[in-house]
Amino acid sequence: MRYVKWTLLALIALIVAGFLHYTLPHRDIVRIVDTEVRRIDFGENSIFWAAPDAGAAASGSRDIRFINAMRPNGRVVVYRNEDTGWGWPPYFKLNSSNLQTQASDRISTREAPEWVALTHYGWRNEFFSIYPNAVRLRPVAGPDVTLIPWVNIVILVILALAGGMIWRMWRQFRERAIDPLVDDAGEARGRVARWFGRK
Amino acid sequence: MIRLILFGLLAMALGYGVVSLYSRSVRREKLEREWARRDIDMARDEFVRRGMAEYDASFRKKLILLVFIVPVILVAALIYITNFT
Repeated sequence: MRYVKWTLLALIALIVAGFLHYTLPHRDIVRIVDTEVRRIDFGENSIFWAAPDAGAAASGSRDIRFINAMRPNGRVVVYRNEDTGWGWPPYFKLNSSNLQTQASDRISTREAPEWVALTHYGWRNEFFSIYPNAVRLRPVAGPDVTLIPWVNIVILVILALAGGMIWRMWRQFRERAIDPLVDDAGEARGRVARWFGRK
Repeated sequence: MIRLILFGLLAMALGYGVVSLYSRSVRREKLEREWARRDIDMARDEFVRRGMAEYDASFRKKLILLVFIVPVILVAALIYITNFT
């Protein structure tokens, strides 16, 4: 029974952490190599794609902008560049065309590299053909600058505070609404209260 | 966008309901404790009822309306930051 409980808890923690890792912004320092538009027919990977441009119709297939880039260590990264519109995740990104233009403007060669910090969310996975979604980019001095993820720090702190608040609300509700009922139940009291792990 | 507004309103209404219930409950408990601690020349129910009436008229209670205001400001700020800076 104890193993079941811990396995379940670990599974929940893993899912929450994975969800946050997918959704929260992350910044890479990259050199943009190329930008392109490709037609994608969504299959079983469709939940890993965002929304059509805000205001455009949705269908099972559409043209998607891509940003191809290289990391300082020579590894390849390919980003998609899609609106998230009014949907999930709540980046409210509506400017994919503008971002694509900025990216094209920053294309540079290996001999004369121009480094940018590219903010994105999502994962790259070759087995499902999924790509992280680029959200914004800004030029940086070089490949070695240190970036502190303030946004993530703030979001995680707020989430932790909200979780603490919900916990306190639950405690209050239990103390004021459930325990008195349990106490009234007289003989059942010991048994039920022990079930709730109190007194 | 309609979906966002709908679900947003739903979530905010739920948040408002839960937070006000919690806040009322905490206040009531505080009043009950105060009555038990001090030597108050009034019946317990009467004391709590007056205290709650005072709470219902208070500015503190109206602050819970921020549950509706803050997310809207946040979304507007986010739209500006992601797209126009």
